[in-house]
Amino acid sequence: MSQGETRRQPAWAELAFVTALAAGVLAFLVEARGVSLDPQNLLLLQPTAWLVLGLWAVLAIGCLTRRRPADAPPRESTADLLRILAMVAAFGLFTAGLEQVGYDIAICAFVLVALLIGGERHWAALLLFPPLFTLAVIEGFRLLIPYPFPTTLL
Amino acid sequence: MIDTVAFGAAVAMLAGSLDAWIWVIPGLLIGLVFGALPGISVSMAMALVLPATLYMEFLPAIIFLTSVYTGAGFGGSIPAVLINIPGTSSAVATTFDGYPMAWQGKHNEALGAALFASCIGVLLSYVILLVLVQPMAEVVLRIGPYEMAAIGIWGMVLLGSIGASSVAKGLFAAGLGVLFGMVGMNTAGYMRGDMGITWLLDGIPTIPAMVGLLAASQLFALVNAKFIVEAESERSISLRRILAGGMLVLKNPVTLLRGSAIGVFVGAVPGIGSSIANLLSYGETRRNARDPESFGKGDVRGVIAAESANSSSEGGSMATMLALGIPGGGATAILLAAFAMHNVIGGPRFMEESRDVVYAIILSNFAQAAILVVVGTLFVYGASTIVRLPLRYLIPCVLVMSAMGAFAIEGSIAGPITLFVFAVLGWLLSRYGFPVAAVVVGLLLGRLIETELLRAWQLAGGDVWYVLNYPWALGILGLMVVSLALSVRRDLRKRRARVARA
Repeated sequence: MSQGETRRQPAWAELAFVTALAAGVLAFLVEARGVSLDPQNLLLLQPTAWLVLGLWAVLAIGCLTRRRPADAPPRESTADLLRILAMVAAFGLFTAGLEQVGYDIAICAFVLVALLIGGERHWAALLLFPPLFTLAVIEGFRLLIPYPFPTTLL
Repeated sequence: MIDTVAFGAAVAMLAGSLDAWIWVIPGLLIGLVFGALPGISVSMAMALVLPATLYMEFLPAIIFLTSVYTGAGFGGSIPAVLINIPGTSSAVATTFDGYPMAWQGKHNEALGAALFASCIGVLLSYVILLVLVQPMAEVVLRIGPYEMAAIGIWGMVLLGSIGASSVAKGLFAAGLGVLFGMVGMNTAGYMRGDMGITWLLDGIPTIPAMVGLLAASQLFALVNAKFIVEAESERSISLRRILAGGMLVLKNPVTLLRGSAIGVFVGAVPGIGSSIANLLSYGETRRNARDPESFGKGDVRGVIAAESANSSSEGGSMATMLALGIPGGGATAILLAAFAMHNVIGGPRFMEESRDVVYAIILSNFAQAAILVVVGTLFVYGASTIVRLPLRYLIPCVLVMSAMGAFAIEGSIAGPITLFVFAVLGWLLSRYGFPVAAVVVGLLLGRLIETELLRAWQLAGGDVWYVLNYPWALGILGLMVVSLALSVRRDLRKRRARVARA
């Protein structure tokens, strides 16, 4: 489907993302209307939700009719994208694990994994930095904040 | 407007008391350190040192606390510039241009500009406070829900499409932000969008969401980079360049004065203060600029506008606290607590009976602003070393600190969970060209606008024409429409000129 120096290339990933957000907004609107149709409930919520859903249609058309230069380079390599996704996943696991395995273990494990994802291969750094950083963070925050947080070793 | 007898007594009080001075530098340093830590807010820093003031005399205690306030007010801009983390909502607009400047290797200039704009902002706000404390407090009392809603809408209109690659994307992001701001129970008691999660009834935790959207999402995108500043030659830390950044503030006096005026006025309004002042000031500066397209890409005027406004809001909130005894936010609430600890009650009677003490507090803040230039410059010099740290170390450290900061704010796992969810959302939004800043602005202003609109609706009993009884609100909206019309006309002229040239 080439046309001059550009070719039509629908942005499927972006379309899926925008559609997921719009679906979330629609669900929010339906739930809010289910709670009450009183203007005190929907005064700002309903018009804003309709605006966002209207804009979804505009953006979806834009995604479907997107044109890119024929020789445009890819945004990033697959390896680069996998590294980002690995960091996102590691951070997600870290967040989920904070209360499960204790803040100390979760921090230490996350820092170690994140260093590996970032490309650190020096064994001394991998061995020393995560536990020392964990110790500093746990003790520092114990001094600073009034709430207790669960730890396993420290 | 200045009571010269009380003013003289205040000067004598400060000149004759060493105690009033020895706590200024420690207070500023504590404020700078705590303000620079992501997740530790100004009020938290002040709350931590509050017990220590119990054993001090009243004036040194208040001076110590206001020093922490002043130091933390600027401290928040350091992570905002260097790692895109607004430690508090008052530093959000600083990230818009401060972080792009750091990316370009202009971190020295950005921090210097932020420091000088902060110091001059504090100074100007206290000058205004000295002269206008009483009339200002009376104006603040006239601000009701209509006026507040108008201010909120003004902020949204100014910043709704900030940094967007298209108007539709900007509005979509801003709308999403507003909807996020409305999750949970509204002031009329309706519970929406909480998905059965108890802690969402209070709404989405704002600071963790903001840090996730702006900072953590950015850190994900940096996983494949080596340093924040890629060029090694640009990673230098230079006192000369920090001071050169400070000089840029003096070259943009209109931006500085506009930011300070907005900061003082909005800061005086209880409940909103610096979190909106910095956004309004940034938006107004961008709107008035000849080249608004340069904002969001590392324009120093953006940093000056944001920092002068958030710092000067300190003077504004002090005006409300001293004259009316109403705390504008967490920091002034802690100051009022310190008043109570010393058996002093802030408010009109305190203003009347202890005007010399009020003047002494104001004068001491002039000195704090001047001392902050020196202490802050040295602090910034040390903090800038962050750009020399490899990102493979910086990313996990900042993510962990942000998660712990989010926990510290919420006191539960709700903070880190919110941080993660919004970090992923922010990363995806910026990946597909949506302006993350617009979501943040919507999140900050959405709840405020809804709350004030609801109050206005309840006052009017559903009659939309009731707004005609509120000339101030109409004035603000009228001003907004006129300024928008002027902007559109200017843009159209520019476009025509470009077409004619082509």
